[in-house]
Amino acid sequence: MSVLAEPQPAADTGVAARASSVSKIYGTGDAEVRALDDVDVAFEKSRFTAIMGPSGSGKSTLLHCLAGLDRVTSGRVFLGDVEVSACSEKELTLVRRDKVGFVFQAYNLIPTLNAIENIVLPMALAGRKPDDAWLDTVVDTVQLRDRLRHRPSELSGGQQQRVAVARALASKPEIIFADEPTGNVDSRAGAEILAFMQQAVRDFGQTIVMVTHDPVAAAYADRVVFLGDGRIVGEMTEPTAEKVIDEMKQLGG
Amino acid sequence: MWRVTRKGLRAHKLRFALTALAVLLGVAFMSGTMVLTDTIEKTFDDLFADVNAGVDAAVRSKESLEGNFGPEQRARIPADLLPAVAAVDGVKAADGDIDFYAQLVDKDDETIGNPSQGPPTFGSNWSEVDELNPWRLQPGSRPPEAAGEVVIDKGSADEGDFEVGDRVSILVVSGAPQEYEIAGIAKFGDADGPAGASFALFMTAEAQRVAGAEGQFDAIAAVAERGVSEAQLRDRIRDALDDKDLEVLTGAEITEEDQNEIQDLVSFIRIPLVIFAGIALLVGSFIIFNTFSIVVAQRTREMALLRAIGGSRFQVTASVVAEAFVVGVLASLIGLLAGIGLSSVLKVALNGFGFEIPAGASVIRTSTVVLSLMVGTVITVLSALVPAWKAARVPPIAAIRDVAVEQSVNVARRGTVGGAILLFGAGAILLGLFGDLDQGVYAVALGTLAVFVGATVLGPVFARPSCAVIGWPLPRLRGMAGTLARENAMRNPRRTSATAAALMIGVAIVGFFTVLASSLKESVNAQVDRAFQADFVLNTGFGFGAFGGFSPDLAARVAELPEVEASSPLRFGTVKVDGDDDFLVAFDPETVLELFKLDPRKGTFTDLDENSVAVSERIANRKGWKLGTEIPVQFPNGERELTIRTIYGTGEREGLSDFGLSLEGYALGYPEVVDNQVYVRLADGVSPAEGRKALERVAKPYPNAEIQDQTEFKESFSGQINQILGLVYVLLVLAVFIALIGIANTLALSVYERTRELGLLRAVGMTRRQLRSSVRWEAVIIAVLGTVIGIAIGVFFGFAVIKSLRDQGFEKFAPSVGQLIIIVIAAGFAGVVAALFPARRAAKLDVLRAISTE
Repeated sequence: MSVLAEPQPAADTGVAARASSVSKIYGTGDAEVRALDDVDVAFEKSRFTAIMGPSGSGKSTLLHCLAGLDRVTSGRVFLGDVEVSACSEKELTLVRRDKVGFVFQAYNLIPTLNAIENIVLPMALAGRKPDDAWLDTVVDTVQLRDRLRHRPSELSGGQQQRVAVARALASKPEIIFADEPTGNVDSRAGAEILAFMQQAVRDFGQTIVMVTHDPVAAAYADRVVFLGDGRIVGEMTEPTAEKVIDEMKQLGG
Repeated sequence: MWRVTRKGLRAHKLRFALTALAVLLGVAFMSGTMVLTDTIEKTFDDLFADVNAGVDAAVRSKESLEGNFGPEQRARIPADLLPAVAAVDGVKAADGDIDFYAQLVDKDDETIGNPSQGPPTFGSNWSEVDELNPWRLQPGSRPPEAAGEVVIDKGSADEGDFEVGDRVSILVVSGAPQEYEIAGIAKFGDADGPAGASFALFMTAEAQRVAGAEGQFDAIAAVAERGVSEAQLRDRIRDALDDKDLEVLTGAEITEEDQNEIQDLVSFIRIPLVIFAGIALLVGSFIIFNTFSIVVAQRTREMALLRAIGGSRFQVTASVVAEAFVVGVLASLIGLLAGIGLSSVLKVALNGFGFEIPAGASVIRTSTVVLSLMVGTVITVLSALVPAWKAARVPPIAAIRDVAVEQSVNVARRGTVGGAILLFGAGAILLGLFGDLDQGVYAVALGTLAVFVGATVLGPVFARPSCAVIGWPLPRLRGMAGTLARENAMRNPRRTSATAAALMIGVAIVGFFTVLASSLKESVNAQVDRAFQADFVLNTGFGFGAFGGFSPDLAARVAELPEVEASSPLRFGTVKVDGDDDFLVAFDPETVLELFKLDPRKGTFTDLDENSVAVSERIANRKGWKLGTEIPVQFPNGERELTIRTIYGTGEREGLSDFGLSLEGYALGYPEVVDNQVYVRLADGVSPAEGRKALERVAKPYPNAEIQDQTEFKESFSGQINQILGLVYVLLVLAVFIALIGIANTLALSVYERTRELGLLRAVGMTRRQLRSSVRWEAVIIAVLGTVIGIAIGVFFGFAVIKSLRDQGFEKFAPSVGQLIIIVIAAGFAGVVAALFPARRAAKLDVLRAISTE
């Protein structure tokens, strides 16, 4: 993959993902919706960043564009040293497979595969052998040792999300994107999941970008980026739930 | 509720188009068959009414033989009856008619038409009485006026590129082939020839001479004077002749007989075609059932919502049934129209096979229209009933709860019920085949249906483990794509097995015929190996109910060759012995033992004369016959008492039939004497090459003679079986094609259902190629599953039928494993083709839309 090897200016800045003057426009004319409006943002390596904002603020769109799931209308997106916005469809697939981990809000797992098969799925698709020692570590971290042979339908919602987190971690991606990972589980399970993600960043140096609208979830992150009407409207480091709520109130007006 | 139905149809155009196609094709095939055969029947009814218009009465022999194995054969009558008929008061004119085997040879020494595979080739006499002559001379033609002149039918003239004045060689019954000058070319009524049969029309005396029937006619036809009715004429002739061996019919009765004969011939085409159309419809009904089941499952929420807002169960059921009704009516209507078009195509195809159908407008009966529409609609609605009933059982709560229940299979109940039906079916088949039932064929038909139904009911029980086994190599071969293909094929056993069942039916029948054909070949080969000790056969083509052959002239010339040690012609004939239809073989008793390994247990073959018969030990034991017993044998020329002089063979057939006759005995029994085959044993020291050369020289004037050694003889038989097998395959292509539409439809629906899952796979890095591969392999697993079950059933059918036909010479049950494996592999490829469209659809999914689908 020549594109993957091509050196880019952003290479040594410690930035895992970067959006540069990114706009995303849906529709044309009167029906035009500017989901992202000239967004510049960077996400540092080995950090846990949360993207917050009210519904329709463009936070999910930003995540999709960063992850190579969606195309930007203008601007450039980099994942590490790869310019995602210049990749072909096939290259995007390989970038997602080899460099990115995903945790979605729901329907994270393939129902016909059991937990461990779901965890190693990206590596199986790539035809790579998983690193067994690392796999053990991941499985123990998310405490799924006794559930590995179970199918998704035999797991609780919280367990399912833990499998999803394990899958995202297992292939040691350069970056993990999580889209409301706790949106569909009860608060206790949610807290567990967020704690695992935090642990992954602290103990293993993993990079995580998470979209959420829950201030409590955002408080697990190292840094919070606030989005409103498709623009970056604020930023906070070492957030707490209270500080985030205050900021949201101010932004929401 | 009607609005819901309409919306439902409109929202899923494609899947309903595919469903409709499954019905449409079956209906088209059925209606096409009916239109075609009605058209043929009507055309020939008109033709015979036309050509027989001048015949008011006809005299012929009462003696005839009509068996299950061939057309009616009738004794000839003395030609000197003609003056007596002509002298009857009220007869304006009368003439004799004689038909016999005659084969035209074209300018390249090839036969025109091949009676062992196509319509027969006749010779006849040219009637001087215009009213009695069905032939219409073409411009520039005249009737034959000398023994050396003939008129030929226009169809043959066109095929052989003959013109008036050309010379043509004709193979006849008695004597060597002879050259004639073409005096004229004639049409049969308005047709180029009667149903593709070829005709050479001689002067009456010459016709009788070449037919080996001097002083004989088949029948004498008479024209009435003005004012004399057909019935009156018939009665007067009957009274005047006063001969209990003769029968006299009116022209109308003769026409009706001709028309009935055509009807029989048409049924011979119609029945198999209608059966194959029925198979196609049965397969289609599986597709409909499956599609509606899946659609109902996918619309669970919608159904539940209807129930939640106050729709009754009946209304929900009705909305699904109404959908099926609309699909059924539309599909049947289009199918009917397509069938009418198809009938013209089939007509051309039949012409290609040599069965010429005169031009005429297509006959579309009201019954065809009504039946096609009804069958298509009823099948569609019936197939949708169970899914519709299930739709009504969706609880209203399903509207608010997310119930993506993968219905579990009740293994115990299904296993018991399905197993019981399957066993019942197998039992019925065995009882029908081996039991002593009057109507065994109905038991077999019912049993066959029960086996299919039982296998279908059982399907979901073993679909999961079967797919696991069939898909076992995939994870190793295709990695994750293979694993997913296998898991997906296993995840919904009902859907998988219903889809596979559609293919199972077609394949079971393919498998059955394949097994039957290979067993028949093996059986014949074994018989040939055991009984054949000739070096060469001169063969006309070992057709069933073979028509035509060689004049005994050929066998006589072969016998004179110095290279030949021994030879004998073989003549086949149908008879009734003790009231049972059977067939016999006539041979030269002096040489038969040098050519066939026969085992005369009692008596010797050389004792056979024209009044005696050789019988197999098998039948002698069964009937309690002994040497010297006189048995009554019904020939076309009448019944004769024949004395048993020889009892041969063991309990098995030995390549010959149960009855053997001398050549002289044969000539007494049949109006026409031709040799069907001539067996030859070469003299010591003559190499096969030299022998073949000598035979080729002698047989040169007989282009219908094929010189075959033992291997070629077997091959020619295998070739004929393969031809029939090929025809069956062609007819089954439709059923298999419909089943493949079913696989495509199911997969397309599954892909639609798994949109989110496929989106997730793509998001975490599955390439489009991997996704396509996964869908493709899922199709292959389903196709192979259906094929393997189908073959298992087909082999069982074949086994049962062959064992039941042991006495008819099917001594070997020999399924060709190679052929069956080829069928499985072909099914795998067919699965790949069926998956093309759904796989492309899956690969085209927009990842983002897929993962954000509600």
